[in-house]
Amino acid sequence: MPVSPNGLEVLVRRYRGRRRALIQVLQDIHDRYRWLPPEALERVAEALGVPLVQVYGVATFYKSFSLTPRGRHVCTVCLGTACHVRGGAAVLEEFERRLGIAAGRTTSDGRHTLERVNCLGACALAPLVVVDGHYHGQMTPVKVGAVLAAAAKDEAA
Amino acid sequence: MSGAARVGLTIDGRPVEAAAGASVLKAAEAAGIAIPHFCYHPGLEIEGNCRMCLVEIEGYPKLELSCSTVVREGMIVRTSTDRVRAARKDVLEFLLAEHPLDCPICDKAGECLLQDHYGLHGRYAGRMAEVRERREKKIPIGRGLILDRERCVLCTRCVRFLRQVTRTGELGVFERAVGSELGLAEGRPVDNDYSGNLVDICPVGAITSEDFRFRTRAWFLDRRPSVCPRCARGCAVVVESVTGYPLAAGERRVYRVTAGVNPAVNGHWICDLGREGRREIDEGRLGAVLRKGVREPGLAWPGAVAGIAAAVRSVPAAERPGGVAVVLNARLTSEELALARELFVAGLGLRNVFFAGLKPGRADGLLLTAERMPNGRGVLEAGLSPRPPALEALAAARVLIVFGPYLTEHFEAGALGRALAAVPAKFLVSAHAGPLDRLFDAVLPVTVPAEKAGTYTNIDGLRQGFSRAVEPAPGVVPEGAVLARLARSLGLDIGDADAR
Repeated sequence: MPVSPNGLEVLVRRYRGRRRALIQVLQDIHDRYRWLPPEALERVAEALGVPLVQVYGVATFYKSFSLTPRGRHVCTVCLGTACHVRGGAAVLEEFERRLGIAAGRTTSDGRHTLERVNCLGACALAPLVVVDGHYHGQMTPVKVGAVLAAAAKDEAA
Repeated sequence: MSGAARVGLTIDGRPVEAAAGASVLKAAEAAGIAIPHFCYHPGLEIEGNCRMCLVEIEGYPKLELSCSTVVREGMIVRTSTDRVRAARKDVLEFLLAEHPLDCPICDKAGECLLQDHYGLHGRYAGRMAEVRERREKKIPIGRGLILDRERCVLCTRCVRFLRQVTRTGELGVFERAVGSELGLAEGRPVDNDYSGNLVDICPVGAITSEDFRFRTRAWFLDRRPSVCPRCARGCAVVVESVTGYPLAAGERRVYRVTAGVNPAVNGHWICDLGREGRREIDEGRLGAVLRKGVREPGLAWPGAVAGIAAAVRSVPAAERPGGVAVVLNARLTSEELALARELFVAGLGLRNVFFAGLKPGRADGLLLTAERMPNGRGVLEAGLSPRPPALEALAAARVLIVFGPYLTEHFEAGALGRALAAVPAKFLVSAHAGPLDRLFDAVLPVTVPAEKAGTYTNIDGLRQGFSRAVEPAPGVVPEGAVLARLARSLGLDIGDADAR
């Protein structure tokens, strides 16, 4: 979705002057654009009255904010201790092979973003993958194709 | 809020009183018990991120941060138990685990809190077998400041200073955990008139000044307090100079001017204009008596004063009030102004006593005042009236004595030159060489404020005495000595320069 001054204004307006709302407004913007465009950060700094570097500080601190455009489907592969022990690395490799990108990158057609995280807090489901908010537990490399197909079907529907 | 309420507590077995609402750290400090810290700074809001100031408080299961814990009645605090000592050691070990230990080439060495605290509270043997994280070591962040990310301990003093004091917010901490580092928004360097304070408040060598880097070592510097002469605020400054060995040609004498602490005037900060005042102490100084702009080898200042006295005496006493004109300035100390009044107004009865000075600038709403002369109030207190110089009156004088190079601030060079050409005998008393030098019969080199003792009255009417912060440059004398000698030569008793 292209970033427009009006679109941003709608998101930022209700937080105007509220310094403490920094994370909420960034979340709203992220929900809408799937990333935090630089012009959005500038607009937020101005509207909330916080220094731009503080906005950058928060934006770079949290893993859930991205400063580069993300794909329509976000695949998050957990490599925390439990997932690692139970073969998370092989699952990640399979994602990388199928999507043709390394972890942390987005496919050139803008469809997929692949991420690795250090723990999703659901170690009983290890190895765990989250695609577009859906949790897929006990993953194996073999299941990767089906998980990606399901995401594609959601998009079509 | 009951500001006067006092709270009694015990720190290290000693009964201590503190203001209600004060932190344990402040209460301890007031009682002479130092608690090590990095992120705490009395001029900034509490952050509590360095964990160095941990103390034991009875009734609390864990160690508490003394900087952010408020004193309570009956509190029992211990600052040097084994547990506290072990905690400090651990905190330091964490901080130093990622520190480059490049003290031999670090400009902060000798005045670094990491070094000080390691010496007092660390003293552990290093256990780091891992390779340290490499980070950028020489990032220009604006205003001649250099950021070294390896040395940074992320105390955020600089970040808080820029948000809370200057409200410009140029610096921030990006990323997190081991990736955390200090940074700027792209294309927005540090650019405010108080930037130099970042070097003062950085507890380590992470922010250094290009003007000071690699020039000398902190332990060679003699630090003496003075009052900043660059505006009417009268901030406390510390003049840091080298003494003790002869300077090589072109070597600096004063390496830097840093902020002094004066809660009544400037708190902990000074502006960059005041900091740059180090230049005018060393640079462009006059070092010998000049005659028509040329160095006169045989002539010392007493001889030059005798010349002034002779010129004044050549004017018959009855014609002196209109025939002798004097231009003073508000950089003179109150003591010197008192002498000048005794000599020129009371003694010689001169009508034409003027004041020249730097043009007013812009007040910045923090410390810097529009008025750029330090003792304007002192002029009034001395019973002198700060009349700006009138060109016709100067031109009509038979003898003209000018203190300071400020006439150029009032008149255009051509007109000033023509006016001065009409004056038969004219003398300049100035600390700095300038375009006026060749227009006067003789120029006497004098001290800058840092080289003398005296009193300035600041814009709020606060009288501040200061002592000599640096030995006078070779060949110069204080204006007070010139005035006293001139008075003696003219047979007037006005007291002397040292009479306060």
